[in-house]
Amino acid sequence: MEALRAAHLDKSYGEGETEVHALRDIELTLNAGEVVALLGPSGSGKSTLIKVLGLVTPADRGDLWMNGKRIVDDGQLLADVGELRRSHIGFVFQKANLIPFLNARRNVELACEIGERFPARARARELLDYLGVEHRASAYPSTLSGGEQQRIAIARALANRPSLILADEPTAALDKERGRAVMDLLRRVAHEQGTAVVVVTHDHRSLDVFDALYQMEDGRLTASSTRPPPETR
Amino acid sequence: MNLAFHDVRHHFGRFAATSAVVGLLFTVVLAMAGIYQGLVDDATVLLDRMHADLWVVQRGTRGPFADPSRLDPSFELRAASVPGVVSAWAFTTQVLQRDHGEQQLRFALVGLAFPDDRGEELFVTQGRPIVQAHGELIADASLGVAVGEVLHLGRDDYRVVGLTKQVLASGGDAVVFATVADTQRIVNDDSSDALIAERERRLARLQATDLGRGQPALGDLAVDPRWTFPALPSPPIQAVLVRTAPARLNEVRRAFAGWSDVSVWTRAEEEQLVLQGMVAKARMQLGVFAAILIVSSSLLLAAVLYNLTLEKAHDIAVLKLLGARATRIAALVLEQAWATAILGYGIALALGSQAFPHFPRRVVLTETSVLGLGLLLFLVSTLASVAGVIYALRIDPGPVLES
Repeated sequence: MEALRAAHLDKSYGEGETEVHALRDIELTLNAGEVVALLGPSGSGKSTLIKVLGLVTPADRGDLWMNGKRIVDDGQLLADVGELRRSHIGFVFQKANLIPFLNARRNVELACEIGERFPARARARELLDYLGVEHRASAYPSTLSGGEQQRIAIARALANRPSLILADEPTAALDKERGRAVMDLLRRVAHEQGTAVVVVTHDHRSLDVFDALYQMEDGRLTASSTRPPPETR
Repeated sequence: MNLAFHDVRHHFGRFAATSAVVGLLFTVVLAMAGIYQGLVDDATVLLDRMHADLWVVQRGTRGPFADPSRLDPSFELRAASVPGVVSAWAFTTQVLQRDHGEQQLRFALVGLAFPDDRGEELFVTQGRPIVQAHGELIADASLGVAVGEVLHLGRDDYRVVGLTKQVLASGGDAVVFATVADTQRIVNDDSSDALIAERERRLARLQATDLGRGQPALGDLAVDPRWTFPALPSPPIQAVLVRTAPARLNEVRRAFAGWSDVSVWTRAEEEQLVLQGMVAKARMQLGVFAAILIVSSSLLLAAVLYNLTLEKAHDIAVLKLLGARATRIAALVLEQAWATAILGYGIALALGSQAFPHFPRRVVLTETSVLGLGLLLFLVSTLASVAGVIYALRIDPGPVLES
């Protein structure tokens, strides 16, 4: 099933001589349960693409479909951003960005309450258990390790069973071992929950977890390599 | 989930400190409003406690508080004879500062028309009204004397037999009540040397006239301490207070207005004379100062609350990426601001109720000032929060993705 499709996405910043083309004619299709990596040097447009796909920044031109439904038509938003974020899109950031005054369980419960799709307490417990951090449920973010924080952040992103998770360098703040664990987790989540996952990464040691690798350069998706479907690997 | 509650609970120290600062700030605002009200109350409390319908004073004056007034004591009887007058009594008041042990007592001495007026209507909170024509006082508790304590005033001792609560003169001094005769005795008490000198001056004045030179026996009488010279006036009183029969106020007033030697003021007019005269400038100054304090405190509170929102910018951006509705974000900002304002309000009231009784001047908290402060805090916190909410809803969540 097609989770996300982007066609002819363009995005520029500035005008005239200072104009920068951050995205040029982006074409991308993601299926449910697929994990893809966005690779490329700094300034190549990876983060801009994540923002456009997450409806944080509007595209200048192009179309976007989510679960087969057109949500952007030639740069014009057709749907309620809040509703899409509540029910279809989950974000995982470089830093966990947990709400500091809520403990781990309540951070996940908050996302459930905002989404209004599942009973918050039960869903939070289920996700913390699933991600192996239930024993840290009462801990506040400041007392959690970086790896634990990212797991809680992933649990929060999964709270409303989104069809798409967008992760911008989720392992940048972690050491090698914890970074690998987070990547494995994202892959497991994608395959077991049927969530499409887009990960911006510079970490070339974990590329084996991805189903497809996309290279970005000067705002273009210049290459992709598709790996075998996960069930055959 | 109430985010404001969790934020407050997690950062309780910061929240409590912020609320304490707000509370202290508005304690000062409350104090200013209370001092202003206290000034107004002090200026009019004596008017209230005298229970008079009309104040009759020297012709052309606005006495006895706003303007010096002198009336002959006999006017009391003239006033009492006017049809429609239920009672008329002399009023005297004088601010004195006398030694008492190692203390200096400053008070306004006010005469009671004993035996008709024994001070029953002064609301004596401790002790009793005056029952003897001489030697008894009712004092306000703020003077710092106790029932049974003896004050030496003039040549005599006076026993404090009753205490009132917050009966103060317009200058904030405690009021002490004695019989009119005692007040005259205390106020007009002169030393022996002064009396002897006055008798000698009197004799000299007499001997400068043909009458004095022609009748030497008059000179003997003029210097005789046991004899009151009938040509000398009695010590003056300052006003005569009149209580009228129901519905005859205007009639009695017209009667007094027709007399050429007095002016007459109603209770309400007398209050206006006091408020627009003797305490007008003090009121205006306090009022302006209170207004400046209210505006600056409100701006400060608004800045504090707005800054609290700015500090949450990152968390609000995360909430927006989670798809939080505007109402949830607004609730986080508003509820926390209200909680800060409510705790600050509570601190201001608690602190005020403990501290204000120890202020040198009376601080009067009225329902209006207490509720007004609450309303002000609510309005300022809401307006500051609305500004905070507008800012919050404009936060671009994009940078969170890169942090």
